[in-house]
Amino acid sequence: MAYEIDGKVIEHDEEGYLTDIAQWSEPLGGVIATKEGLAMTPEHWEVVNFLREYYAEYQIAPAIRVLTKALTKRMGAEKASNKYLYDLFPYGPAKQACKIAGLPKPTGCV
Amino acid sequence: MADFVPPPLWPEIGLEPVPSPEDGLMAACRPFVAAPAHNQALGFPGELVEDWETRAVARLGELLAGNRALRVYLDACVGCGACADKCHFFLGTGDANNMPVARQNLLRAVYCRHFTPAGRLLGPLAGAGRLDRARLDSWYGYFHQCSQCRRCSVFCPMGIDTAELSMAAREIMNSIGLGQKYCNEIIGKVYAIGNNLGLPPPALADTLEGLEEDVRDESGHDVRFPLDVRGAEVLLVTPSADFFAEPHVDGLIGYAKVFHQAGLSWTLSSYASEAANFGLFIGSVEQMRKIALRIRAAALDLGVKRIVFGECGHAWRVAHAFLEELAGPFDFLDPRYPRPQHIAEITADLIRTGGIRLDPDANAGMVVTLHDSCNVARASRMGDEPGGQFTLPREIVRAAVPRFVEMHPDTTHDRTFCCGGGGGLLTDDLIELRIKGARPRMQALKQVVEQDGVTHLCALCAICKSQFTKVLPAYGFDREMMVSLHQLVGQAIRLGTSSL
Amino acid sequence: MAAELAMAAILVVAASALLVGLTLRIVLYARTPAPLPLATTPAPTGRVGAALRVGREIVLFPSLWGADKPLWLAAMLFHLGLALVLARHLRYVIEIPPAWVVALQGPGQLGGILMMAGLVLLGLRRTLIRRVRKISRPTDYGWLLLLLLIGGSGLAMTYRWHTDIIGLKAFLAGLWRLDLVPLPGDPALIAHMVLAAALIALLPVSKLLHGFALVFSPSRASPDSTRLGERRHG
Ligand code: SF4
Ligand code: SF4
Ligand code: SF4
Repeated sequence: MAYEIDGKVIEHDEEGYLTDIAQWSEPLGGVIATKEGLAMTPEHWEVVNFLREYYAEYQIAPAIRVLTKALTKRMGAEKASNKYLYDLFPYGPAKQACKIAGLPKPTGCV
Repeated sequence: MADFVPPPLWPEIGLEPVPSPEDGLMAACRPFVAAPAHNQALGFPGELVEDWETRAVARLGELLAGNRALRVYLDACVGCGACADKCHFFLGTGDANNMPVARQNLLRAVYCRHFTPAGRLLGPLAGAGRLDRARLDSWYGYFHQCSQCRRCSVFCPMGIDTAELSMAAREIMNSIGLGQKYCNEIIGKVYAIGNNLGLPPPALADTLEGLEEDVRDESGHDVRFPLDVRGAEVLLVTPSADFFAEPHVDGLIGYAKVFHQAGLSWTLSSYASEAANFGLFIGSVEQMRKIALRIRAAALDLGVKRIVFGECGHAWRVAHAFLEELAGPFDFLDPRYPRPQHIAEITADLIRTGGIRLDPDANAGMVVTLHDSCNVARASRMGDEPGGQFTLPREIVRAAVPRFVEMHPDTTHDRTFCCGGGGGLLTDDLIELRIKGARPRMQALKQVVEQDGVTHLCALCAICKSQFTKVLPAYGFDREMMVSLHQLVGQAIRLGTSSL
Repeated sequence: MAAELAMAAILVVAASALLVGLTLRIVLYARTPAPLPLATTPAPTGRVGAALRVGREIVLFPSLWGADKPLWLAAMLFHLGLALVLARHLRYVIEIPPAWVVALQGPGQLGGILMMAGLVLLGLRRTLIRRVRKISRPTDYGWLLLLLLIGGSGLAMTYRWHTDIIGLKAFLAGLWRLDLVPLPGDPALIAHMVLAAALIALLPVSKLLHGFALVFSPSRASPDSTRLGERRHG
């Protein structure tokens, strides 16, 4: 269970989340996205980058609500919806975007 | 990771016909096994121990000696089959082992073999069998295809509750080092961080601040979301999903507005920032107690007078029925109020007494139906009368929206179908099971959508809400149909205006 | 007198097995702790209410009624019939039966038929409905067969090969005095008594104990009474 990038092997768990989040890099994010069947656009990266920033500060991914709010502030009102995020990350913005961003999966009743 | 696509729902009005049971349809369905670190954090062996069969039988013996329910339920089954077509997982999968009695028999076989004269003498003739590797595998698979919803126990003439047996089997598996990743990892997070989500206190504080801002922007009122406030009247314990997921957060906003409008001082705790108690799911009284004691500690530390639970099905079961036994006595709380209380009891009472006013026009256009969450329905109560767990939420919905519609009577009240994600199954590795298990509920929903124009499905359980958000689209419904009970309240409540 | 001695031994062993086995079971159930209240709700909030709930379950099978009406009917036929039959049998063990036992002789005969009808329905259900067939163990059929044989031999004596009731009563009365009195040698009677004795002896270690288990079944027997605090909410 590993991603391969530039000849390097990077371990992930059963679901594709990185075992060691420090090993993340932007190209690796791209590799994970491809495996998820997503073609990354600037809009996708915008979300991924925000997740990483938030994680660096709080050691957890942001709530959907926090995410949409931040995106609105940065990019305008049309980003302020759940639907927008689901369109970008069909398997659920929290989980799929976290995986691509190299962050641990949010657990619990979510 | 593509989701499983279920066959379309039955085109007729009414509940689907019962499938004919087949063997092994879901034999391959099993959740991820916990890593050693997840097991050890809970004090279980990291990996399957060498002498697992002996130790599992010994553990079963200990459980039998300490839990009357287990012993009686293992003895009392007459094999009548009344329960066989009552489990949503059987109805949704058609797998013979998902008939409650068949599920029970996976454990009963081992019980018979080692603890009854008939089983020792007659062996397989009496349904007895060893716990060999194949059986252990079927335990792991099928005891994780039970959401411990207790629907079968309603119909069994002996009152046998398969949930109890699933819990026991999971406890035995944990004791030999075969834990489930989802539950054990999460319980570890509660011990390490305080909640299932792993939301650290600064992140919680930031989230709550953000909510205060949002509510101020949207309503113009200064509704607070207090955290760790000493001397508050009420400690609110709510599932951490309420801080994170949609539509859960909208429910949290609803609670805050109710407290605000009623003038009740309240606080959340960063130490007990979780109502859920997954110790129940893995059948471990010790883990349940450890988690419950965090609530006691927080209540003592903050000096509150009352403990109130937010919308979470199994948490309310643990709170209502077990909390005093697990973490009591709660004699330091105000004796004039039930200990603990459910937020819906407070809201319903405030509506009755005029302490808050709801304006259904604020929810204009909504036609709402209610999913009775199984742990609330079959394992707890609200208010003073038996059945208050049904009437109070309905009173609230009726007061908050223009039109309320009931689903098929075989799928509501104590006959409610589980959402398909309860009991520690709300994990992506079980998505096919979750989608199939939700099928009976979806069928009932389809009926009211088509006949009565229902637009929204309301629930008061964090797991139900997350599960439905996930599975509604698989059956062709809009994800945003899902609403929290207190979301309806939050949208309809009249803030500020004097209620006298 | 060898046959009488054997029959006496069988009956004494069966009765003792029943008494000892049942006592041990009940003590075991009663002694096993039930630390957490596990009522299936809505449940009565007090002990009396919970006891009534169990009583209703034992007499009327309301849960089964909600689950499966044909099954309820079959179960009711069998249990009601069995109760009547047992009442009727009291006259064999009581020297001078009270008036109500005498009055129940007629209904008791009907009971035999109801009981057999119930058993046949239960058996058909077990073999014909795939769901039920799949969950059936060999012993489930075994119990049905045993009960059918006991009932069948009983009915045979009632309607066909009448047996010497006076002789039987004398034999049973003799047992109480530890005195061996000749037993009528009808094959139907001997079969009936031996099979019934087997059933009685096996009762405490079988699923047929379920009536007693129900008394201790936490989902029905525990009240929803853990709520503390006065009844104020707001
Ligand atoms: S408790 Fe619920 S999920 Fe488990 S067997 Fe019974 S009906 Fe099925
Ligand atoms: S309804 Fe109860 S007694 Fe009948 S088969 Fe199911 S568990 Fe056994
Ligand atoms: S998640 Fe909700 S419906 Fe499902 S088990 Fe829990 S309370 Fe029941």
